[in-house]
Amino acid sequence: MQQPSLPQSTEDRILQVKGLQVKFSTEHGPVTAVQGVDFSVYRGKTIGIVGESGSGKSVSALAIMRLIPNPPGQVTAGEILYHGKDLLKASNQEMKAIRGNKISMIFQEPMTSLNPVFTIGNQIQEVLSLHQREFSKKDKIEKSIEMLKLVGIPSPEKRILDYPHQLSGGMRQRVMIAMALSCRPEILIADEPTTALDVTIQAQILELMKKLQQEFKMGIIMITHDLGVVAETCDQVAVMYCGRIVESSPVREIFANPIHPYTKGLLESIPSYDSTTGQDKNRLPTIEGMVPSLHNLPPGCNFQDRCAYAKDVCFGGQGGPPLVVNELDPRRKVACFYPLPYKEVAKS
Amino acid sequence: MNKFLLEVKNLVTSFSIRGGLLAREIGRVHAVNDVTFSIKKGETLGLVGESGCGKTTLGRTILRLIEPSSGSIIFDGKDITSISREEMRAYRRKMQIIFQDPYASLNPRMTVANILSEPLIVHQLFTGKEERKKRLLDLLDYVRLPKDALNKYPHEFSGGQRQRISIARALAVGPEFIICDEPVSALDVSVQAQVVNLLMDLQKDLGLTYLFIAHDLKVVEYISRRVAVMYLGKVVEIACAAELYGSCRHPYTRALFSAIPNPDPTIKKERILLEGDIPSPINPPSGCYFHPRCFNASEQCSKLYPPVTLESQTHEYSCFHPVPPSC
Repeated sequence: MQQPSLPQSTEDRILQVKGLQVKFSTEHGPVTAVQGVDFSVYRGKTIGIVGESGSGKSVSALAIMRLIPNPPGQVTAGEILYHGKDLLKASNQEMKAIRGNKISMIFQEPMTSLNPVFTIGNQIQEVLSLHQREFSKKDKIEKSIEMLKLVGIPSPEKRILDYPHQLSGGMRQRVMIAMALSCRPEILIADEPTTALDVTIQAQILELMKKLQQEFKMGIIMITHDLGVVAETCDQVAVMYCGRIVESSPVREIFANPIHPYTKGLLESIPSYDSTTGQDKNRLPTIEGMVPSLHNLPPGCNFQDRCAYAKDVCFGGQGGPPLVVNELDPRRKVACFYPLPYKEVAKS
Repeated sequence: MNKFLLEVKNLVTSFSIRGGLLAREIGRVHAVNDVTFSIKKGETLGLVGESGCGKTTLGRTILRLIEPSSGSIIFDGKDITSISREEMRAYRRKMQIIFQDPYASLNPRMTVANILSEPLIVHQLFTGKEERKKRLLDLLDYVRLPKDALNKYPHEFSGGQRQRISIARALAVGPEFIICDEPVSALDVSVQAQVVNLLMDLQKDLGLTYLFIAHDLKVVEYISRRVAVMYLGKVVEIACAAELYGSCRHPYTRALFSAIPNPDPTIKKERILLEGDIPSPINPPSGCYFHPRCFNASEQCSKLYPPVTLESQTHEYSCFHPVPPSC
């Protein structure tokens, strides 16, 4: 059998996160929100980070931007290598030059992330004034009109004078994307970019992001809890649970053959609308119980209480299972003592 | 005996828009606009649509938490559209609602025991001390929460557990009909499935009838026997779940389905991308409300609102140019 080759060359790697650990101090003692997270972002590719609320996906993204509020949060270990340079060691000055310029971010709530008292034109121009010092006022206005046109906002010359409340949710998210892309970043971090939007608008925004990615050759980090969004947009997926990556794989493989029991559970609990629609419906398969509190993680594997396959070592005191590369397919990694059987996924 | 538990006929709910010097009425917005449907006993009707289409207003109007402007609501054979508040109170025992946000719909200063007793106090049910205690424990049992939950406060529970408390509260007075207003939208996927299963089990055990409002088409299809699709205050298509998902006729329904991201990366389906946003219901487009965004629209569509077409016994839609029935 031929070994499947690694999909991307290291030249295209823009960002590499290695062993990231983030801790927060809380009233009830310190918690580890992110533990030993590794992933890479490649030019023109999208990596999806999926997980339920509190799994550490947003914290990982904020850590890349060095936006973890300190106190209470602190990156306690790991490296974030941007073209080989560790961002965790960069000065604030250097970070300013990267943030918004080389690495941009869009957030879930387009209403609260735009400033209500400035026009949208003003807000796009602010980004340009910070990073494109050589631009004259006229250049900036032209550039902001060009950006709004790019994200598909009709009559942008008029729209730059609008305030955020005059726009709908989908339009606001387009403005956020225009702002984030105005400096042509190499990496776009999208933190639940469509969660607050209706499905028809979500489809528009995802389509727009795909189009712009091809145009700019950006690497995208797509943070979401919606596996449908992952399937549509991502090339690579990392599934997070209680601050750790439990499975990481190319997108086709993870959907066709999840190896971690949690991934399998997540996939099964989505009601599928094209399944049998007889009157006597079966119950939805669920993952029993709930995500444990980060204050009170069990010894051994974090997923043990909810896992149908857990036995002896899973409950043991020697820590959780490490994320290991699958022998048969080096593109796939799983953190499980008893992973589900590996099946080769046919190429299309 | 009437086989329909709930019938809604030509229901209109409008709100006045006030402005100017003396806050005079300067216009009306029709949040629910001429809606007709019925729900059989023990059935679940799903109601889907994007935000602002009037789903929640419709649900609340049925309970008369918002007064209807015209049309009629018939519950169990009795017209409740204009009965007095006193009479309505008796009907509220039979009709309950579960809200979307389990964080906002439970009073943070009340214990679970207080939250669950309140409807019993209002309706003077299970008045004896022992009797009430037993009822509360039964309710917790229905929703699979432990007994010691009674003395806890809402903040001590996770989102899914809080939604269980909301469900228990709705069940307290022994209703026949429950409006579920986006009960799982705020929950994580794995917890969402647990709550959906719970609602389906309760329906089987207690013979409940649901109006299930959601914007997530997959959940709605799963739980409902029939589904109604709303757009700008009007029901544009209503059909059996299987029929709707297999062969919807209204272009909006088709677009809505095609917009759902499919959790299978191998399927690259052709996507219908709708242009633009949902128009404001204050100033709806002329003719068919959907025509400015519709890929099938003709001139006729901008002049007349299409009449209801019967596709089959269980399937009706309002469109001049329906899409072919193959999905």
